[in-house]
Amino acid sequence: MNIHAYEKLWLVAAMLLIVGFIATITYGSVALGITMVGDQQDTVEPTELADDDRFDDPRVEQVGENEYEAYVVAQTFSFQPNPIEVPEDSDVTFYVTSRDVIHSFSLVGTNVNTMVIPGEVAEMTVEFDDPAEYGVVCNEYCGPGHHDMEGEVHVVSEDEFDLTELEADGPDEVETGDEISVDVTTENRQLEAIETTITLEIGDETLTEDVTIEGGETLETTFTVDSATLGEGDHDWTVTVDDHTDSGTVTVADDLEDDGGDDDE
Amino acid sequence: MSNAYIDQFPAEAKVIRAAFYSSFFALALGGVFGIIQTLHRTGYYRFIDSADYYTVLTAHGVFLVISFTIFFLVGIFTWAITTSLDRGVEDLRFTWGWYGLMAVGITLTGVAILAGFTDATDISASVLFTFYAPLQAHPLFYLGLVLFVVGTWFAGVDWFRSWWAWKAENPDERIPLPAFMVLTTMLMWYIATLGVAAAILLFLLPWSLGLIESVNPLLTRTLFWFFGHPVVYFWLMPAYMMWYVLLPKISGGKLFSDPLARVVFVLFLILSVPTGIHHQYLDPGIAEGFKFIAMTNTMFLLLPSLLTAFTVVASMEHGARQRGGEGYLGWLKALPWRDPVFAGMALAGLMFAAAGFSGMINAGMNINYLVHNTFWVVGHFHLTVGTAVALTFMAVTYWFLPQVTGKQLWSRSVALGQVVLWFVGMTFMSNAMHRGGLLGIPRRTAEPQYDGFEFEAAVGSVAELDAQIALGGVLLTLSLVLFFANVVGTALNGRSDDLPDNSYAGTLSGPEDAPQILDNLKLWTAIAVVLVIFAYTFPLLSIIDRGGLFGPELVELPLSTLDLESISALALAVEQSTIATLETTADTATAVIAGVIP
Amino acid sequence: MRISKGGLLVVLALLAPLLVELRTVLAWVNVELSVLESAAIGLILVVAIFVWAFWPDNGNDGPTSDSSPR
Repeated sequence: MNIHAYEKLWLVAAMLLIVGFIATITYGSVALGITMVGDQQDTVEPTELADDDRFDDPRVEQVGENEYEAYVVAQTFSFQPNPIEVPEDSDVTFYVTSRDVIHSFSLVGTNVNTMVIPGEVAEMTVEFDDPAEYGVVCNEYCGPGHHDMEGEVHVVSEDEFDLTELEADGPDEVETGDEISVDVTTENRQLEAIETTITLEIGDETLTEDVTIEGGETLETTFTVDSATLGEGDHDWTVTVDDHTDSGTVTVADDLEDDGGDDDE
Repeated sequence: MSNAYIDQFPAEAKVIRAAFYSSFFALALGGVFGIIQTLHRTGYYRFIDSADYYTVLTAHGVFLVISFTIFFLVGIFTWAITTSLDRGVEDLRFTWGWYGLMAVGITLTGVAILAGFTDATDISASVLFTFYAPLQAHPLFYLGLVLFVVGTWFAGVDWFRSWWAWKAENPDERIPLPAFMVLTTMLMWYIATLGVAAAILLFLLPWSLGLIESVNPLLTRTLFWFFGHPVVYFWLMPAYMMWYVLLPKISGGKLFSDPLARVVFVLFLILSVPTGIHHQYLDPGIAEGFKFIAMTNTMFLLLPSLLTAFTVVASMEHGARQRGGEGYLGWLKALPWRDPVFAGMALAGLMFAAAGFSGMINAGMNINYLVHNTFWVVGHFHLTVGTAVALTFMAVTYWFLPQVTGKQLWSRSVALGQVVLWFVGMTFMSNAMHRGGLLGIPRRTAEPQYDGFEFEAAVGSVAELDAQIALGGVLLTLSLVLFFANVVGTALNGRSDDLPDNSYAGTLSGPEDAPQILDNLKLWTAIAVVLVIFAYTFPLLSIIDRGGLFGPELVELPLSTLDLESISALALAVEQSTIATLETTADTATAVIAGVIP
Repeated sequence: MRISKGGLLVVLALLAPLLVELRTVLAWVNVELSVLESAAIGLILVVAIFVWAFWPDNGNDGPTSDSSPR
């Protein structure tokens, strides 16, 4: 075969370029340990996510000192949980699956980007440094409301970050003179113990309790207030733990019909 | 008396004309949807509902990358076979038959898509060009695609028949270069379309008809990309063919090297298919190793394109020097820039070089994470299929139209303005798309404006990018208007006796320099098949093993809302009536043609 | 005229990618051009190319027949 000398030169240069590309990517994956989304995770049943221990409760979980896992569900046309909150200087492994059609989970302006395919679970680990807020988009067409599908990832400072879950329950109505008791459930999902204060504000009253909750533990507290001091009428109450709040309203009445007070959130 | 194509092969010229006009019709529709999208996305003018945007997008994609490109290329492939083998098609009824099948197929698909705009029917197919399950289109959409692809298979059979007949009469001759290019491209196409045929016939069509409950979304997606990447070479190969066999002639010289042109096409035959997984770098459920293999194949696919760049530029330089060009770069001035056929192809080639660079980024397995499914990708393929292919096709139209109509081109100046305008418009549009993608702006969305965050531009602002895209889109639309003015103007011209001869470029280094083995199509096909088996068997088995052949139970998103039974009944009825219509149409067509053509 | 009309048109067209990319390239060296400034540079270049194209060749090929500006 008759190949011109310049063309031979060009051929060699082209081959070098190609081999160079492959080499840099191999280097990135072998030496720098950049891993791709692969088949690390087992499959799931998209219609039975509620019964799957990975995805029954979309959440962020602490698994090591600076290591977290985020279980994310994409569905038409939203992400759960939203926003996803993680601390600065952490390694977060995202596990993402879909409840219905194909979506993506993409942190805007970064290379954190994966397809989300029903039945499959995408896994990727991301190092977050400084506090920042990232938008999350679905960049795969998923139906007529595709353009409304968005979420956020908040990387917050160490001080602001916690994995505390707060839930408070109180009665709807009480008769004047009876006690109002508000049950507070505080869960610390972090590995380390937290010291904090639980506060109940109702009317002009403020009740506080200093607590220490061990890592992974749940604390139940009950605040009791005498309804007589509040007087007749509707009273809003708020329970606060750090940045978390839960609230409700209780009606204090002189002559209460006996229909029982159900929980209110 | 001229010796144009229509004088040599009047009957074939008619088929090619039909294919071209079908192609241009699709281009017009696609163009209209294109400008609607441009103005909608950028927020300049929104007169459709954002939910309908996806119907527009589906139509834009399918009409342009399926109907426009493929109808055009079957036209030039028919030209290439008949001209280079110097013989008419073996059976004209068969030729019209495959054209008819393609036309019926794309009509069904097109109707299914466009029906999405009206509430009068429940038919809809706003599933985009990629139709990823669990998005579900109306069965007509899938059925039409099948018929269209089968039509292209028959077209390939037609060209192979010509070659076999020619070989019987010329046992010792080398395959003429244009015919060689057609045959290798079609072999690649046969292998590639097996993927989409399996995806549709085994899974998506039965599923849309309610015959099977569910599909494995990763499996149908992988089968789509088995076809979805090589299809881009199906668009590109005809453009390459034009750069190899027409451009050197128009430049005033000869093709630099026939053997290397053959090597390039053989490489595309071998390497096009086992690369599809590079569209799935971000897919969970496919092991990293498989992705790596796809990447390696993809990178080697750069080689034939880089070789083409060399050969094409060398051929142009040769042409320029024949025309009196001198100096290291001075020869550039001697090229026939006034000729829209030349200027269009040269500008298309230049943009393809830029597209090659963004393609290298896309191919890089790790850097792909930054750009996957962002607007960057849209910028990339508007340079490849939207310019390298489309602009080349439009430019060569100015050469082919007189050949197949026997009429002078309406205006060479308008034609030159048109190709230059396309280049400028695409520069603005694709540059902004690439840059927008780097900011994370997603592709395929009606409103890339979000409540919770904003995209932060590194240079300029997102508003400027939007303006640039809208400006580009308007220029491109204007360019299309000029193109159609020329096509219509030419069609209205009277028959001319003063047309250039039908011929293609000679070669500096001819087929006698090419080893005989290059013409061994069986060998190259066998190697291609082995590579495909190597690249795809394990990924497919692993996907089936993980998710099951028919996948998990799914929440499907039917974009047409009929209950299943009526869908199946309707579809079956349509299927039967279509087949019946097809048969009668084919019969009538053959009868008509037999009557018209002596 | 130093260049064919077709050639001139193509050269002008090639200015488009040059100008568009110039902004990005200059941003690397911390020169931020506004759209208006880019357009102004474009205009200057267009004029310069026109002047160059229509400037009589150093008199070596007699009177240029089609040097009338468009």
